[in-house]
Order: sequence, then C-alpha cells, then structure tokens
Amino acid sequence: MIQADSLSRSYGERWAIRDVSFQAREGEILGFLGPNGAGKTTTMRILTGFLAPTSGRASVAGFDIVDNPMEAKRRLGYLPETPPLYDDFTTREYLSFVARLKRVDRRKVDDAVDRAMSMCGVEDVADRLIRNLSRGYRQRVGLAHAIVHDPQVLILDEPTSAMDPRQIVEIRKVIRGLRGSHTIILSTHILPEATALCDRVIIINEGAIVAVDTYEQLAARLRSSEKTLVRTARALGDLAARVGRVPGVLHVAPGPGRGEWVVEAALGRDVREHVARAVVEADAGLLELRPLAMSLEEVFLKLVTHEDEAAADGEREGARA
Amino acid sequence: MSGVLVIARKELKQLFTSPIAYVALAMFFLITGFLFFSLIGVYTSQVLQLQGPPPSDFDPTRIIFSPLFQDVSFVLILLVPILTMRLVSEEDRARTMELLATSPLTSTAIVVGKYVASLVLFAVLLAISAYMPLSLAVMGRLDWGLLAASYLGLLLLGGAFLAVGLFASTLNENQIVSAAIGFALLLLFWVLGFAQQASGSAVQQVLSSLSFSTHFSSLASGVVDTQDIVFFLSLAGFFVFLGVLALESRKWR
Ligand SMILES: Nc1ncnc2c1ncn2[C@@H]1O[C@H](COP(=O)(O)OP(=O)(O)OP(=O)(O)O)[C@@H](O)[C@H]1O
Ligand SMILES: [Mg+2]
Repeated sequence: MIQADSLSRSYGERWAIRDVSFQAREGEILGFLGPNGAGKTTTMRILTGFLAPTSGRASVAGFDIVDNPMEAKRRLGYLPETPPLYDDFTTREYLSFVARLKRVDRRKVDDAVDRAMSMCGVEDVADRLIRNLSRGYRQRVGLAHAIVHDPQVLILDEPTSAMDPRQIVEIRKVIRGLRGSHTIILSTHILPEATALCDRVIIINEGAIVAVDTYEQLAARLRSSEKTLVRTARALGDLAARVGRVPGVLHVAPGPGRGEWVVEAALGRDVREHVARAVVEADAGLLELRPLAMSLEEVFLKLVTHEDEAAADGEREGARA
Repeated sequence: MSGVLVIARKELKQLFTSPIAYVALAMFFLITGFLFFSLIGVYTSQVLQLQGPPPSDFDPTRIIFSPLFQDVSFVLILLVPILTMRLVSEEDRARTMELLATSPLTSTAIVVGKYVASLVLFAVLLAISAYMPLSLAVMGRLDWGLLAASYLGLLLLGGAFLAVGLFASTLNENQIVSAAIGFALLLLFWVLGFAQQASGSAVQQVLSSLSFSTHFSSLASGVVDTQDIVFFLSLAGFFVFLGVLALESRKWR
C-alpha cells in the first residue's frame, strides 16, 4: 500500500533522513517511533508529496508520489504535526471545504462531513468557530479532516499530541476502529503509544531506520541479555571456557575483531568485575572491557517510555468502559 | 478547474469574513469620494467662470474623471497589497498550506484560485465606484466611451497589481512584510515611467514601456490600444506564473 525505497532528504548540507526504505501492508497500522528530530515528519512529508525527496522513490496505493501526485493524493489522508485549520470557519464549514478539496462528489459532501464528525466526536462543536476550540478539539477536527474523504491510506503525524488522557484514549479508539479498512502510518515519540496502537513498529533515529518489527519481538531482542565486549592481547583458546564459568555469564562468542569476545550475561547482572578477573588470571592481556550498547537500545533510551500516570489511568478506564 | 473554484470560494468567504476587506473598501471609498467631490468643486468653479457658450473642448468627463482615475490608480498601489497580503502568507503562518499542498490539486490551481478570488473582490470594488459617474449622468451628458476605456484600464491595472501582490505574498509568512514587498514592487513599476521625463535614451524607453503609469495613462485618456491591454495581461500572467513557481519550488528547499 505504501512503499518507500531508499528515501533521502537533505536540508542544505544536513541530511534529515538517509536511505529510508520500508513498506506498509494493506490494512495494518505501522508505527513510526523515534526521538525528536529523528526524521519522522520529514519522511511523512515526502510520502504525502509536501516535500520532494532528494533521492529515492515513494508510492501510495501503487501511484508514485512524484510522477503521479494527483492519483496518490486522492487516496491519502494526512494529519500534519500542526492541524491545518482555518480559524474563521466553523467545524462544519471547514470539513465541507476539505471534502470538496479532496474531490468528494458534491452530493456526498454533507454525508461525508457528518460521518467524519461522528467518528471523531466533534458533533457538539459542529457550528462553533474553530478559533474558539480547545487544543484537544482542534486535534480531533484535524483527525476528522484527514478521514473526511475516506482515504485508503492515512498518515498521522503525532495524532495524540496536545490531548488530555481521556481524549488520547478516545482518539486511539477511533484509530483502532480504522484499522483493517485503512492502511495507517502514525508517528510518535512515546513508546507506550506505539505499543498500544501499532501492528508493526519502525524505529528511526538520526534519519536512519534502526529496526522494523512487531513491538513484542523488538522488546524480546532488546531485553534478553546484557552484552559486554572484551578485547585481549592474546587470543587464547580456552579463554571462552574460563569466562563462561563466571557466575551469571550465559554465553561467550567470538567478537568482530581478533582477540575480541562478546560476553552475554543475564539481564540486570553486572559481571564485568568477575570477567575481568577471569581474563587476567588466564594471562590473556586484558586491553578493553566495555558494555555493548546496541543502537536500538540507545534509541529506546531517548524515547519517552512512560506516559503520564493519568494517561495510564485513563487507558484502564477506557478499557473497562 | 474545479480545484480553482473550490479555492476561490474559500478565499472569498475568508476575505469577506475578515475585517481586512471592509477596512480596505472603506478606505478606498473615503479617499475616492473625497477626491470626487473636490473635483466636482473644481468643475463647478470652471463652469461659473465661463462666459458665453462653452468651448468645444470643455468636457466634464475630462475635467472630473481623468484626474480622478489617475489618483485612483495611485491609491491602488497602497490598497492592493493590503488585499493580497494574506493570500499565501496566512496559509503559511497557520500551516494550512500543508493541507492544500497535499490535496489533489496543482500549485497552479491554488494560485489561480486565489487570484480569481482577489479579482472578484476588486471587481466588486470597481462596480461600487461606478456610483460616481452614474450620479453625474443624471445631471448631464458624459463621455461614455472615455469612461468605458478608463474602467477597462482600471480593471487591467488592478489585475496586474493583484498578481504582483499575490506573488509578494508567497515570499514571506508575515502578512505585513508581504504587503511591504508588494508595495515596493508596485511602486518600482510605477516610477519606471518617470525615467521617460529625464531623457530619451533607449534604456529609458524600455523602462518606461515597462511602467504601469505609461500604459494606464493612454487607456485613461480614452485610447484603447491592444499594446496596453497585452502589456497588463502578460504582466498579470507573468506574476501569477512566478507565484506558482514560488509554491512549486518549496518542495525542493
Ligand atoms: N525546514 C527545515 N530546514 C532545515 N532543517 C530541517 C527542516 N525541517 C526539519 N529539519 C531537520 O531535519 C531533522 C528531522 O526533522 P523532523 O522534523 O523530520 O524530525 P521528527 O522526527 O519529526 O521530530 P519531532 O519528534 O520533534 O517532531 C531535524 O534534525 C531537523 O532539525
Ligand atoms: Mg515531527
């Protein structure tokens, strides 16, 4: 449904994203997870045709976004970081303008607007001026504008930002309701949000994709062990066995370079002191010993890993309701 | 095509719900009304000084309306940038350009839609200003040919001004800055005509042929020359095209 091939984009000298490739399958919710400045918005702007890629290609519903933008854009709903609202319109006026802009058949505009308003829960503010809406309602009207023409593909840039916990729960319900009939990409820098909503997660950091997987598998890969790199002067044959006997060490494997070993230990156990002693006792010439931080872990460290207490409460309440 | 209409409708709705349109219209009618009545005063005193039958070149249309329309054209230099300043700048400030640019319509449709809306507003303004000649028509005969040529001139002049103002609006997300750029561009085109008075070198001839004032004066004196019409139309087309380019080039920045 959505296909990105080696997308790169530079702003002047700086690369915002480099060589980003992925695809979203029909009907899935794909999460774009990354810390601030990772390149999420830039990627989405390219997918929606707002920015041209410096190199690479992207297509939406089979239509190339650069070569055939009109067909691609017809099938696309996009909620930018800042909802693009006209303050001097009422909600209803605004949504009917968007519907006509997105080429909804003239006779179906009213129905489309009503449907979008009820899905996003903005009927109460239908005839209020957008200028007078609260931030949470503005965000909801933004979501309504993205789905008013019932697009096959939805691209949502941080759809729950600026909302209170209750509203977050409701918006997530709306997004979950769209799963299956729509292909959705949404970005977030909040880890639990990706877990709560997405079928698959793409983790992006400093403009490059670090991992693509389901959240469970990512978590499993991430949390299975603590890895330590040991570098020795002499590559002794029995070193692996000696280190392996240190309590807490699960596995010792040859490292990438000569005389290097990767020591895996159980999660939460710091075995460095004992490993160091074992290496010194074997007289292998200890040169270096450092924890191996996978880039994925580094990224996770930069993510927001907790939602507000209140948000969690809201989620529970929402689940019960 | 339908995209142009959707944009134009939206712009008109915004123009007429914002105070800018009304402030601008009020300003326009205050100034032109004042000029009109003082020119009537001039005309009346000339009539009173007449002895015997009026000479053949004594023409109320030329005495009142020719100078009036000259002044109006100058008022437009101030007025048009105010009408056009928000067209694109405001979309940039409110981040709504992201909606337009990711919708199934071309940059050309966006710019032309906005241009059409500003033309409609301007036409309304001209139509209302027709109260001035019409109110005099009750009292005496006017030179309708001259008036028609003048109005054609104003429409063409306004069309070109609006295109310049629209282009200026694509350059900056601050409305005031956009208005200032528009004003500066229009003034530049206007003063090109003054070069003519200095001397007659070839460069100055070219400059003055690019001037709004030169081409407008000939229309306002009743001479409908296709050269002048083509000048205004191509200038309008050129600046609308520049506006499209400005939007299109943003994708690559
Ligand atoms: N218009 C621009 N001009 C120059 N640099 C830009 C521009 N837009 C983005 N960047 C840079 O590109 C990088 C990626 O930005 P982007 O907005 O895509 O990140 P993001 O993942 O959406 O971050 P956030 O979570 O804060 O929204 C950042 O380093 C940013 O500074
Ligand atoms: Mg962003």
